[in-house]
Amino acid sequence: MGEITTQTYSRREVLKNAGLGLAATVSAGTLAASSAPLGVSARGVPALSRRQKATLRVVGQLDANTKKLTAMFEHLHPEITLDYINVQAPDWDSLFTKLLTMVAAGQAPDVITVATEGVQQFAAHNLVVPLDDYVKRDKAELAEFFADVHPTLVEAMMYKGSLYELPTDFNAVDMYYNPTLFAQAGFGRPSDTWTKDDFYKIAKAITKKKGSLTTTFGYGWVVRLWGSWTPWIHVNGGDLLEFGRAPGGSWLWDTFYKNDPQAKGRGGGLHWGPPTANLPSNVEALQFMLDLINEGISPVPTVNGGNALQGFFASKQLGMTPAGGFWAGGLHAAGLKANQFDVQFWPKWKTQRTHFGTAGKMIMRSSQNKDAAWEYCKFYASKPAMTIELDGNGTTPTRRSMMTAARYAPTGPSHWQVFYATLDRAGTRAMPAPTYYNAMSNVLDKYTTLACGGTATAKQALDGMQQELESLYISSIK
Amino acid sequence: MNQQHALPARRPTRGGALAWLTEETTAGMARRKTLLAYLFLLPTVLGILVFTAGPVLVSLGLSLFSWDVISPPTFIGLNNYQQFLSDPEGLKSFVNTFIYVALDVALQIAVGLSLALAMQQKMPRWLRYAFRSAFFLPLVTSGAAVSIVMSFLFNKDLGAINYYLGLLHIPPVPWLSSASWAMVTVVLTSVWQQMGFTFLVFTGGLGTISPEVLDAADVDGARGWRRLWYVTVPMLSPTILFVAVTGVIGALQVFTEPYVLTNGGPGDATHTVVMTIYQAAFQNLQIGYGSAVAALLFAVIMAVTAVQFGLSKTWVFYQ
Repeated sequence: MGEITTQTYSRREVLKNAGLGLAATVSAGTLAASSAPLGVSARGVPALSRRQKATLRVVGQLDANTKKLTAMFEHLHPEITLDYINVQAPDWDSLFTKLLTMVAAGQAPDVITVATEGVQQFAAHNLVVPLDDYVKRDKAELAEFFADVHPTLVEAMMYKGSLYELPTDFNAVDMYYNPTLFAQAGFGRPSDTWTKDDFYKIAKAITKKKGSLTTTFGYGWVVRLWGSWTPWIHVNGGDLLEFGRAPGGSWLWDTFYKNDPQAKGRGGGLHWGPPTANLPSNVEALQFMLDLINEGISPVPTVNGGNALQGFFASKQLGMTPAGGFWAGGLHAAGLKANQFDVQFWPKWKTQRTHFGTAGKMIMRSSQNKDAAWEYCKFYASKPAMTIELDGNGTTPTRRSMMTAARYAPTGPSHWQVFYATLDRAGTRAMPAPTYYNAMSNVLDKYTTLACGGTATAKQALDGMQQELESLYISSIK
Repeated sequence: MNQQHALPARRPTRGGALAWLTEETTAGMARRKTLLAYLFLLPTVLGILVFTAGPVLVSLGLSLFSWDVISPPTFIGLNNYQQFLSDPEGLKSFVNTFIYVALDVALQIAVGLSLALAMQQKMPRWLRYAFRSAFFLPLVTSGAAVSIVMSFLFNKDLGAINYYLGLLHIPPVPWLSSASWAMVTVVLTSVWQQMGFTFLVFTGGLGTISPEVLDAADVDGARGWRRLWYVTVPMLSPTILFVAVTGVIGALQVFTEPYVLTNGGPGDATHTVVMTIYQAAFQNLQIGYGSAVAALLFAVIMAVTAVQFGLSKTWVFYQ
């Protein structure tokens, strides 16, 4: 092939001309070049006056709770109308894919919901705006919010020193267990500092077989990045990616967390360095999972099996499984009573550190109503709004003051305090979610399923994973 | 277009185009009929241009660019195609897709034809309707929903299928977790869902076979398998060609079943071409690369279809 000439075109031009069948002309480089970024304007918008009307396009489902929130918000801000765009997705990966497709189609909303998985991806691609100036301006108003929210959740929403979201809900990985199966196997509630060996003993004792078939499994999990076999990596002292902290962020910590010991040493957000997938500690963690499968203590995990796992747990076929606060609402909806399941910290191996994911609202850079969008973000993170939105325990509120016995009385679990206290476990931090999260998630699925299916050993699978992650990492820093 | 509908040559008239069209002559009537035909065709042609040809051209154009949706596109010529040729995963996805196509289309034809033949037997009308509804129902069910339910059923350790196999003393089959079984599971799921369509087409095809031909075969002593093989199948060959061509085109674009059931795994055992396109374009934001793979898939579909039609001359029998 001859030498490639490179030239840039605006998206509008490419679509327009290609749509007219001028692809060949485009390839010949006859279209006018433009360096304007894809309809993504970085220009600020003057603050709304009370007389100016703005319509905010917000990603969300207009359910009963959202209707209440909308009425509250529009009462407080009569100059702003909320227009909800329902984006259905089974998981965060799919949601990001759909949001990016909306961006590609020029239909980007003003406010989007983004979890840890996408914070760096959206921020690095300059799709969203940092909230620093807004937060500094409204610091008096926001002091109450930050005082109520664990600093590690806030740090997870930072990228290169800037804050991109006010976190409103999170899910830390904990161990859900079935107290009845525990009791039948002769075990009570494990201690807060139970170990991997304790876990193994209990899981083995719970496992029941009928001939060659296992009818009750001690432990089950699904293949994905959050709460999969990955907590075992962390308690074994490993990581999939080299962890560090970006510089900066003191503007936030010094303003809102000056006297909080948990905020000490935090920086400008999590920095994910080169991959370390095939560390011996990671191989050991995956091998532990494969041993459980081979011994029939754990079923062979599958991708996209979250719903099935919840069904198996609810039907008392699983003794233990990794899950977060969101399972409380899910199991309650599946018919389990508050005393039929409980939760405990992850078992200790070399550490007792696990990970979490957190979510909030981001303002799109393309929004023409950024000030109105900020008002909405602030409102959404207020306690009255969060109380309505997070009703039913489908997730965990980021506000410590909302974690109450009354909140968990209808759904359980009995030891709901574990959810928030997990954040205090030394080293617990956000799941690894670099700018190439989607591709990384696919690579993890690929090699985990290879190992679990018996096609590769733990070492071979993680060597393969390492190789692919290295190539993704190199592409990401180019 | 045949001669009858050809637009007659325009002749200069004093009343202009309207008079030329409304002329009360045989030629004028022919012109009006022709114009009407074009008007009826117009919505379809516009639809194809806007929703099929347009996106195809856009995609072809984009395949020459590097574009991540967010930054301006950069023209890179054929680099995306070169990247594909050096991408073992991309090539593997084509191999996987071909395996899927071969298994899926062969089974669709076998199962659809068997069911259609079974429905030719004498049975009460209500039973026939019940069977037909049962065969057709999966086709009108969402592919994603079917795949989710199937993932429960095919679970190696907790699924219903292995439970019943266990009652027959058959050890658990790793339907979704083994690299060699996963493709079989994807095919079975797809065949179960799609068989209603092939059943329907074969039922129609069997209805077109002249009873005289079958009676003559009977008189000549061709019964059972002999009659099926030497009479029914040749008479059904145009229908088989139709099912094979549409089946191959559809199967080459398989996405939902492997995406929901296995996400392309274990490893990349069920990773198909359209999954490569989806992941490249919408997950990894490599719109140009995804478009290049889409263009290659388009070329493959065209080539395979051309070969099918070419070979059909040797085995398809038109009554």
